[in-house]
Amino acid sequence: MKTLLLSGLALAMLTVGASAQTVRLGTEGAYEPWNFMDANGQVAGLDIDVGNELCQRAGLTCEWVINDWDTIIPNLLAGNYDAILAGMSITEERQQSIDFTADYSPPDVSRYMVLTGTTIDFDSLQNVRIGVQSNTIQAGYAGDNLAQGNTIVSFEQAPQALADLSAGSIDVILADESYVTEIVANSSGGFELVGPEVEVGGGVGAGLRKSDTELKAKLDEALAAAKADGTIDSLIAKWFPQREGPFYLN
Amino acid sequence: MNLLDAIFADIALMARPALFNIYFAFAAIPLGFLFAVLLALGKASHNRLTSAFSRGYIYAFRGSPFFIQLFMIYSLVLSLNIPLWRPWGISWLMLSPLFLGPAILMLNTAAYTAEILYGALRTIPKGEVEAGRAFGMSRLQQFRFVTWPHMIRIAWPAYTNEVVFLFHATALVYFTLPVIDNQQDLMNKARELFERDYNVFLHFSVAAGYFLAISLVIFFIFRRIYRRLMAHLPAEPDRRIRYAPRWL
Amino acid sequence: MVDLLPAWLADGLGDEALFWFGYLTDGRHLAWYSSVQFTLIAALLGGLCALGFGLLGAGMVGSRALPVRLFGKAYVNMVRGVPDVLFFLFFPLAFEQGVEWMASSVICSPEDIAANPGRWPPCPAANWILGTWEYLLLASVSLGIVYGAFTANVIHGALNAVPRGQIEAARAYGFSASQVFWRIRVRQMWIYALPGLSNVWLLLIKATALLSLLQIVDIVSWAGRLGAPNFTPSAGLVHPDWRWYYYLVLLLFYVLLTFLSEKGFAALTRWAGRGMAVAEARA
Repeated sequence: MKTLLLSGLALAMLTVGASAQTVRLGTEGAYEPWNFMDANGQVAGLDIDVGNELCQRAGLTCEWVINDWDTIIPNLLAGNYDAILAGMSITEERQQSIDFTADYSPPDVSRYMVLTGTTIDFDSLQNVRIGVQSNTIQAGYAGDNLAQGNTIVSFEQAPQALADLSAGSIDVILADESYVTEIVANSSGGFELVGPEVEVGGGVGAGLRKSDTELKAKLDEALAAAKADGTIDSLIAKWFPQREGPFYLN
Repeated sequence: MNLLDAIFADIALMARPALFNIYFAFAAIPLGFLFAVLLALGKASHNRLTSAFSRGYIYAFRGSPFFIQLFMIYSLVLSLNIPLWRPWGISWLMLSPLFLGPAILMLNTAAYTAEILYGALRTIPKGEVEAGRAFGMSRLQQFRFVTWPHMIRIAWPAYTNEVVFLFHATALVYFTLPVIDNQQDLMNKARELFERDYNVFLHFSVAAGYFLAISLVIFFIFRRIYRRLMAHLPAEPDRRIRYAPRWL
Repeated sequence: MVDLLPAWLADGLGDEALFWFGYLTDGRHLAWYSSVQFTLIAALLGGLCALGFGLLGAGMVGSRALPVRLFGKAYVNMVRGVPDVLFFLFFPLAFEQGVEWMASSVICSPEDIAANPGRWPPCPAANWILGTWEYLLLASVSLGIVYGAFTANVIHGALNAVPRGQIEAARAYGFSASQVFWRIRVRQMWIYALPGLSNVWLLLIKATALLSLLQIVDIVSWAGRLGAPNFTPSAGLVHPDWRWYYYLVLLLFYVLLTFLSEKGFAALTRWAGRGMAVAEARA
């Protein structure tokens, strides 16, 4: 056991040494079009394009790490990667444990999505099965405000909620407008948005450990430049044809 | 907070989640056992079709991971919601983890239990069955009075292990099925607590303690039943149930 | 991949078959197929570890020294009460924290630790980054520990199944205790242990389905991602929920693995049993 521990230690030192040059970026890879696995089996999406852009501008070598959504903050803190770019909204609750760069996608409301033709009475909102992705701002909102009289069904990944909505096992999904709008647009009338807009969370930023002030400064500087010359705007427009700009250009 | 307080706090937090694991296991046991008896008799049957089905079922469920069975059956049941469950008005039942969890556990444990019972079935002396027939027993009577008592006594120790394994398998249910409101099981709760303070030793040990304690209770109860089953037989030096993993 | 097909075959298949061939050989599917390597590596490495821990455990259970024997018994019986998935998650995390704790006692200066109160690891330099391969290694070791306990049971039983006469004969020839153990008991026990080892192996390969819980993007994780409904054309083919087809493929994969393993062990048993009068051991 001791030799095992020591060899583990040696391995640890090696990886610590190697990590000095490479910045590891964590993402989920299951939240189209923010981040997903493309036809080549590689991660792609807005988060990935933004991450690569920032790394290039800041002169950093970056590599992507895939991690499940529900452990994405713990594994950032545990040091398995150095930044989260996973369509993560900047919220006060998350800011208690991690830091964020400035937003690279402006604040986004949350919307209810149903199978087309479903009617839900949003004034009383009772006896409805509401699907959310666990550990999201929507899950927090639903738990705080909608749990009375309704059933909250939590899924580990957003597409799982989508599958359950299609199969009618939940009545409605509460998710980021940017996410559901693209789905509605491509579902050939299968889904529609209903009800009020729900205001939760801020813009989407890159999550960082609080101790990594140097990395935060580098990324923020690169982000400010990418916003100013319109790169971020064009990236958002590329991945979200349904969203209306301009986002950061005046 | 000192260590002891932390442990007691965890024990209190995990009491309700533990009930979910107990519920999953015990909801699956009765029907699983019944189905297993049918499968075992099916496998031993002279009817080719029955035998082939039972063999195939047992092989498929014993030959693949429970984790994948959970994923597969959940997504299959989900895709049948609109064509079947919805028109029949049983969506609320079929898609509830509290029904589906035990149902999939039941399908799984039936295969393992059937293999145990089938093994026991083959040890029954031919002479005993023939004696029953000579007494003029019907086939049902032969099963009830000759085959069944023999089979259950032979199979009981292995079945005990299977029930403990089944209980352990409940740890996987909420890794795959959606979580409704705040229905959490032990693993779910342990992971949630771990993600708050990274104290892997504390939370996982308390969860392990719950599993251990409940497993010991299962062993205790099943040993009592075994003594009863064997009460009429002359005492043997060693009639303890030995633990062995999921095989014969 | 469609481009790689010879022209006559591509023409013969027709458009629809070509479309599905293209879909099933796109980059994501190729990544899925190649992720089988994680499953197989974890099974083989885990199996080796299990054999090692099993021999060690059996040695401890059979030891004359009471503390060693008690420790061995505690290890072998651990699997009675704790689900494998719990240990599977616990061990890599605990090992990581253990390494980081040791590293921190060497690397971290007291000022670093003071600057990071209540954080883990105590200072950033002591952080051990776990990637897929590190997790795979740790997963294999934890599979080895869990199924090593089962293996120890099997080997302990097999060691005792070696006929006493042979051991006595060896002693009579003047073999030392260690010679008797290694040259007679360990040499002879395999034929008695093989049926049990085969069963442990079958349990172990099924446990490799849990790799995705350690952030390894393995066959189970890919099946979920590929089968999940997709409504974003830029992310590939738009399709509804196809997960259960993908999981069915996994199920069949594992059944096939089980079948091949059984065949392999049957051949091994025949080979190990040549020239030995142990028909009853095979039952």
